[in-house]
Amino acid sequence: MRVLVIEDDADAAAFVQRVLQEAGHDADHAADGDAGLNKARTGEYDALVVDRMLPQMDGLTLLKTYRDAGGRAPALFLSALGEVDHRVEGLQAGGDDYLVKPYAPSELVARVEALGRRTPSDGPATRLSAGGLEMDLLARTVHRDGKKIDLQPREFRLLEFLLRHAGQVVTRTMLLEKVWDYHFDPQTNVIDVHVSRLRGKIDKDFDRPLLHTVRGAGYRLEA
Amino acid sequence: MKLGRLPALVRTTTFRLALVHASIFILFTASLLTYLYFETTGRLDLQAENELNAEFQELSTAYRSGGFDRLNQAVFERSSATGKFFYLLQDADGRRASGDFNMLPISPPESGQVVEVKFNYDARAPGGGEARRSAEGRVSRLSGGGVLMVAYDLAELGEMNRRILAVVVRSALVGLGLSLIGGLVISRSAAQRAESLARLTEDVMGGDLTRRAAVVGSGDEFDRLAIQINAMLSKLERLVVSSRSAGDAIAHDLRSPLTRLRNRLEGALSEGTVEGARDALARSIEEIDDVLGTFNAILRLSRVQAGATGSFRRLNASGVTDELAELYQPVCEEVGLGFSYAYEPELFVQADRDLVAQAMANLMDNAVKYTPEGGAIRLLARRTPRGEVALTVVDSGPGIPEADRERAVERFARLEQSRSKPGSGLGLSLAAAVAEAHHGRLELADGDAGPHGAGLSVSLVLPPA
Repeated sequence: MRVLVIEDDADAAAFVQRVLQEAGHDADHAADGDAGLNKARTGEYDALVVDRMLPQMDGLTLLKTYRDAGGRAPALFLSALGEVDHRVEGLQAGGDDYLVKPYAPSELVARVEALGRRTPSDGPATRLSAGGLEMDLLARTVHRDGKKIDLQPREFRLLEFLLRHAGQVVTRTMLLEKVWDYHFDPQTNVIDVHVSRLRGKIDKDFDRPLLHTVRGAGYRLEA
Repeated sequence: MKLGRLPALVRTTTFRLALVHASIFILFTASLLTYLYFETTGRLDLQAENELNAEFQELSTAYRSGGFDRLNQAVFERSSATGKFFYLLQDADGRRASGDFNMLPISPPESGQVVEVKFNYDARAPGGGEARRSAEGRVSRLSGGGVLMVAYDLAELGEMNRRILAVVVRSALVGLGLSLIGGLVISRSAAQRAESLARLTEDVMGGDLTRRAAVVGSGDEFDRLAIQINAMLSKLERLVVSSRSAGDAIAHDLRSPLTRLRNRLEGALSEGTVEGARDALARSIEEIDDVLGTFNAILRLSRVQAGATGSFRRLNASGVTDELAELYQPVCEEVGLGFSYAYEPELFVQADRDLVAQAMANLMDNAVKYTPEGGAIRLLARRTPRGEVALTVVDSGPGIPEADRERAVERFARLEQSRSKPGSGLGLSLAAAVAEAHHGRLELADGDAGPHGAGLSVSLVLPPA
């Protein structure tokens, strides 16, 4: 993926670039709002990582302007402002995701990669699948190798999210935000418990596990 | 000193209002007095006119019954008596027959005509000499050829009018004076109260948050303002105190992990093997994450306490607990705790879903953390007897002695036996802050007694919507 990092703090920008490059992506950098908007408009990028507070033009205005001009690359806001109202502002300005500083590198990579997946207009998919696991979104059923798997509604949504991001790392925070719509971190390992229950249902009777734990980062569904 | 203060007084809004009030009052008084003046003088004029008519009537009766001589007699008698009217009777040849004047002020009218006249004449003043006076009257040609004039001195009427005018003007002046004084008194007392509020804010800005505005008890707008300002100051004081104590708490709770972290990194520097250094670094990162977590919790708590966050909507509180039950049930089972959930329908509250969910998640986290294996946790959403909505987590753990409950809700208060458990110590404080942000409260009570103790029950009580 070609990612444009719009961040005024040189150290922070270098860190983001390095993290993304280590994960195998191209990361370009713009140091202020104007430059960032101009680069983003070239249309060469698969995703934007935008700091909220920028000189010249703040991140919200930048993204609004970019979207108004028809820019479609998905964008992730980076911000030290982490309240729910700030997130809502970010999403309203055209952001696709919102990550609060400080964050773990794995979290950043996972979220940027999750963004990249959205770019091709998948359209309203009705079926999702990975390695013999089939999910029918209309009938709300799941099969693996032809065998039906019964899931609770929340487990279904959890698996749906994992399937949509098959092959990518998804973090616990991402799951909490996207599957449960909670914007805080419970201290207990609630997500781990739910994932291990789901794993019990989809992997237990099969030789090859699909749902992997990525140490220190999160989970990955992979065939 | 007094003069020096006057301009400041004049600048006050209340003074200007008093001035406007005085002006309106004066305008009103002036129109009233003007009306009175014209009404009274008009009435006096009319009265003089009527009396003149009556006089003429009587004299013409005399003329009709006794001819010129009788009239002459009547005029002579009347002019010698002191009265309101002055007379002049001329015979057909234009010679003066009787009366007060020597000659007519105008040429006599044709026969049968009556002419109104207004003229000046010279009269002997009381102190000798002559004074010019004015009179108004009526001249009539008699059917027999003579001329009769009856007039009255305007001075008397004028004197009356002047007196009325003088009274009117004096009343207006007194009214003006009174309304100005009244305005000044009112505006001064208002200005003084505004001034005392201004001094109060100065003191507060100077750092004395304990000062409060005086409430007189009159219930007027100044009192209401003072009460509001006092409420605001109380809240401010609470926030300042809590942020100060947060500062202390940060120093206390973050200093030790940061010190540990520093030592570990130092150890990593002198570590002989790469593996050892790597291991120390990995543990350091975990430690930093903990510190950041605590830090974020402090920030979030401060924002909630300051009322600076949340979008409040009408929502069904049991919707929040439904989701929490679903989220935590597997967790309880995993760690060997019983879990049950009971709710009543239609528990509507005005609330921020995320905040309420976080507060309840904190209570669930605590219950899971402190209830020993084999215990049980109950989640309840119900209506209190007073109609409020109570979201309650009941556990069968050791509980908190009644004496410690208040302190347990304070920031960073971690009771001695809990020091060893992970967590920021902010869970209950945040739940309490969320309760306050919703105009509700957090209630701690004994829970389900069991082999491990009295148990703990924590309720987030929210006002119904």
